[in-house]
Amino acid sequence: MTTTAVVNPLREGLRLARTPEPATLVLFGGSGDLAGRKLLPALYNLAVQRLLPASFAVVGAARRPTSDEAFRAELHDAVAEFSRTKPINEEVWQSFARNMHFVATPDDAGYDALARRLAEVDAEVGTNGNRLFYLATPPAAYAPIVRSIGTHGLRGSGWSRVVIEKPFGHDLASATELTNVVHEVFREDEVFRIDHYLGKETVQNILVLRFANGIFEPIWNRQYVDHVQITVAESIGIEERAEYYDRAGAMRDIVQNHLLQLLALVAMEPPAAFDDRAVRDEKVKVFRALRPIAQREVAARTVRGQYTRGFIEGKAVPPYREEAGVGPDSKTETFVAIRCFVDNWRWEGIPFYLRTGKRLPKRATEIAIRFRVAPHRIFSREASEGIDANELVLRIQPDEGISLTFGAKVPVQEFRIRTVNMDFVYGASFMVDAPDSYETLILDALRGDATLFTRRDEVEQQWAFVDPILEAWRVGMPELSLYPAGSWGPPEAETLIERDGKVWRRP
Amino acid sequence: MATALSAVDEAVWGARVANVSALERELARLRRSSSAHAKEQGRTVARAAVLNLIVYADREVHARRAAAVTARLADRHPSRGIVVLGDRERDGADVAIQLHCYVPHKEQSAQVCYEQILARVRGDADDRLASVVIPLLVPDLPVFLWWTGRPPHGTRRFDELLALADRLIVDSADFARPDQTLPRLAELASSHRYRGFGITDLNWTRLTPWRELVAGFFDSASWRPYLDEIVGVRVGFGVDMDGRDIHPSQALLFVAWLASRLGWQAVEALAPSEAGGLLFSLSRADGARILVRVRPRFERGIEPGDTSGVRLQARSGEQLVEFVLKRSPDPRHVTATVAVDGERRVTRVVPLPAPDIDELLREELAIVGSDHVYEDALHALVALA
Repeated sequence: MTTTAVVNPLREGLRLARTPEPATLVLFGGSGDLAGRKLLPALYNLAVQRLLPASFAVVGAARRPTSDEAFRAELHDAVAEFSRTKPINEEVWQSFARNMHFVATPDDAGYDALARRLAEVDAEVGTNGNRLFYLATPPAAYAPIVRSIGTHGLRGSGWSRVVIEKPFGHDLASATELTNVVHEVFREDEVFRIDHYLGKETVQNILVLRFANGIFEPIWNRQYVDHVQITVAESIGIEERAEYYDRAGAMRDIVQNHLLQLLALVAMEPPAAFDDRAVRDEKVKVFRALRPIAQREVAARTVRGQYTRGFIEGKAVPPYREEAGVGPDSKTETFVAIRCFVDNWRWEGIPFYLRTGKRLPKRATEIAIRFRVAPHRIFSREASEGIDANELVLRIQPDEGISLTFGAKVPVQEFRIRTVNMDFVYGASFMVDAPDSYETLILDALRGDATLFTRRDEVEQQWAFVDPILEAWRVGMPELSLYPAGSWGPPEAETLIERDGKVWRRP
Repeated sequence: MATALSAVDEAVWGARVANVSALERELARLRRSSSAHAKEQGRTVARAAVLNLIVYADREVHARRAAAVTARLADRHPSRGIVVLGDRERDGADVAIQLHCYVPHKEQSAQVCYEQILARVRGDADDRLASVVIPLLVPDLPVFLWWTGRPPHGTRRFDELLALADRLIVDSADFARPDQTLPRLAELASSHRYRGFGITDLNWTRLTPWRELVAGFFDSASWRPYLDEIVGVRVGFGVDMDGRDIHPSQALLFVAWLASRLGWQAVEALAPSEAGGLLFSLSRADGARILVRVRPRFERGIEPGDTSGVRLQARSGEQLVEFVLKRSPDPRHVTATVAVDGERRVTRVVPLPAPDIDELLREELAIVGSDHVYEDALHALVALA
C-alpha cells in the first residue's frame, strides 16, 4: 500500500532506513490546542532529530484568519512551552518555520486559496505533490473538511493521506457514516485514525514481550492464565474538557478506544508479520470474538460510576457535578468497569476485567496477567501463607516496565515463603527519553505505515461492543454509582470482581 | 596475586582484593551496602547488566577516562565494566595483577547499580590476561571489547581478549597512520565475519549524521537521478591551528563509504593539492571520472579530524547541481543546500550532535552484530590507499 520510495543506495545501514518522502502536512485546526500542545512540538522534535524529509512544509488551515508571521510566532511560543526538549533550538526552528504557512478556510473561497497555496508550496519546496492532511479540529468539522478536500481538489499529484483524531464517531452508526464520507475522498489505506495510546513505546513493547520472546507465549492462554486485569486510572478530573467529556463519558473517552486496544494487544494471536495488515487483522479477530454484552446482562457485567467530593494527593477536589461546565444532574460516567470474555480457543472462560476512571488515587495504566496457582501444595500451611499466584504486570505509565511476582523462601531457619517481585524498569535498562507518541505516529503516517493506526473494521467492532452497554445505561441499568474522588471507584466495582472470587490489584 | 604494585587511587577504583572469589564477595557486599544506602532515602536499587564491557588501556589516565565513560553509560547500558590497565613498560621481571571493584552510590540516579572492576597488570602478562578476565564476565551477556589506542594485531593480549568478544570498539581518529591501520581492521572484519563478530569504529559513528544528511538529499525523487551523475567530491576535515595534527581517517572513511555504496572504482591517487590534503581520481560505474579532494581546514569549534563540510557536484548535460553541507551558522549546526547552476533551491538547517564519546558509545552499544556498510567502506578504503 505504501508508495515505494525511490531507491537510494546511500540509505542502506542508516539508522532510519526508510525516511519519509518529501511532503506537505496540511494541518486543519492549525491554531488549535492540539496543534500547539502536541503536533507542532512533535514535528519540531522530529526536525531536531533530523527525521523529517529534506523537503517538508506545514500549511495550517482554520476558520479564523491570521498571517503566516502570526501563525509562526504563535506556534513558536507553543513549541517553546510544550516541547519535550528545551530550550528550543532557534536555528532549527527558523529553518523549519520558513516552510510554514497559514491559509484561512472559513468558506469555499478559502479552500480555493488553500489549493493554490499548496500548489505553490509544492513548487517552492519540492514536496512532489505528497500531502498529509491532519484533522486536529473538533469532531463535528471532520466530515465538512473531508468533503471540501474532495470538492476543491486539494489532493496533490503525489500520495495523499488523512490523519483523523479521536473520537471517531460517537456510536457505530456515526462512525460508519463518517467512514463513508471519508471514503468519498480517500481510500481506506489512506486513512490514519489516531489512537495515541498505540504510539506509546510501552504499548508497542507488549507486542515485543509477547512475540520476540519464546517463554511467554506457551503460557499465554487459558491453561495457565487465571484472569487478566487492565486498568487505565487517572487522578485528574476533566480539566477544561467539560463540553466534550460530559457528552462522551469514560466509555467513549477511554474504553471504546484505548482500553479495547490494550485488550486486543494482550489477547491477539501472533500475527504473521509486523505490518499494518497482519497486525490489524489479528486485532479485529479479537474484537469479533469479544462476547457481546446484551442489554439484559449489562447490570451484571458492567459498573458505571461518577466521582463525588474527595481528596487527591491531600487536596480537596469538587464533585463531578460541580465541575465547570457540568450540569448538577449530569449522569455522565467518570468510571467504568467491565467483565468481559474473549470467546476463542485460547481464552475461552477466562475473564478480562477492564476498568478506567477519573479522580482515582493515582495515575496508572497497567495490564496484569494473573496465572493459576501451583496445582499442588507441598509446603506446610504456615510456610505457604505468604504465597500467591504468579502475576506478570505490564506497566504502561508511569514507570514503564514489567514485573513478575513469584514465591521465594524467606532467609530464616523456618520455612517461610514470601512473594517477591522481579522488576524490569524500562527507564532503568534503557534510560532514553522515549519519543512522544505523536512523534512516532506522525512519522509513521508520513512513511505510510498504518500498523499503529485503527482500521475501519476495528473502530466499528469497538463501537459494536460498546453501543449496547451505552444503550442500557441510557435507560438506567445499572444505576449510576457514586464514588468519592481519591478512591478506587464505587463498591459495585469490587462486587463485580469478587463475585468471581478475585480482587482488583492495587496499581 | 604476586607482588605489590604502587597503589592506584582506591577512592576511584575501590579497595584491592586478592583474587576473583574475594572480588565476588566484595561486589556482593558493595551491592548490599548500596541497597541499604538507597533504602535510607526511600529508593530501591535495581541491579542491572545488559552487557560486559572490557576496556583495555595502556595508561591510567586512559583507564580512568574509560571508567568515567562507562559509569555515565550506566543509565542506558548498565554493564559490568572490566578495565584492564596494562602497565607493560615498567619492569618486565615480575608479573603482577591487582583487582579492584566498586559499585557506585550515586545520589541522583541510584536506581541502577552497575559494577566496575579494575584489573591492573604490570609487566609482560600477555599470557595470563585472558585467565583473569574470563571468570569476571557475567554469563550469557554479550561481551564488548573497547581497545583504547591502536589495536596491536597479532599480539597475544589483543588476540585472546578479542576471542572473548562479540564486538570490538576502536576509535580510528586516534590512529596515527590510518592508511595502514584501517586496512588491518578490514582484514580483521573479514576474518571474523563467520562468527557474527562486529567492529565498531567511533570515528564511523561520528560520520553517521553526515551520511544521513547526504542520503537525505537523494530521498527526494527530483534529486535522486543526480546521484549517478556525480563528477566531483570535496570533503574538509578539521586541523589545529598550526596544521600539524593531520587525521584524515574520518574524511577517508566518508569517501570510501560513497565509493562502496555507489560502485566507484579507484583509478589513481594524485599529488596532494596542499599540505595534508589528498587528491584521488575515481571512476563511476559508467566509466566517467570523479575527482575527489580531501583537505584539512582550520575552523574554530571543530575537533581535529572531524568532518567540516562536504560538497558533491553532479553534472547532467549543461546543468551543474551542487549538494553542499556546511557547518553553519555555527559548528553545532549544518546547513544543507542544493544549488542548480549556482542558484539555491533548497536550504535547511539541522543540529549536529556534540561528538562526545559517551553519546557515540551509547549509540554503538545499542547495536549487536556487524555493520556491513562499515566493512564495505573499509574494503573500499583498502583499494583507495
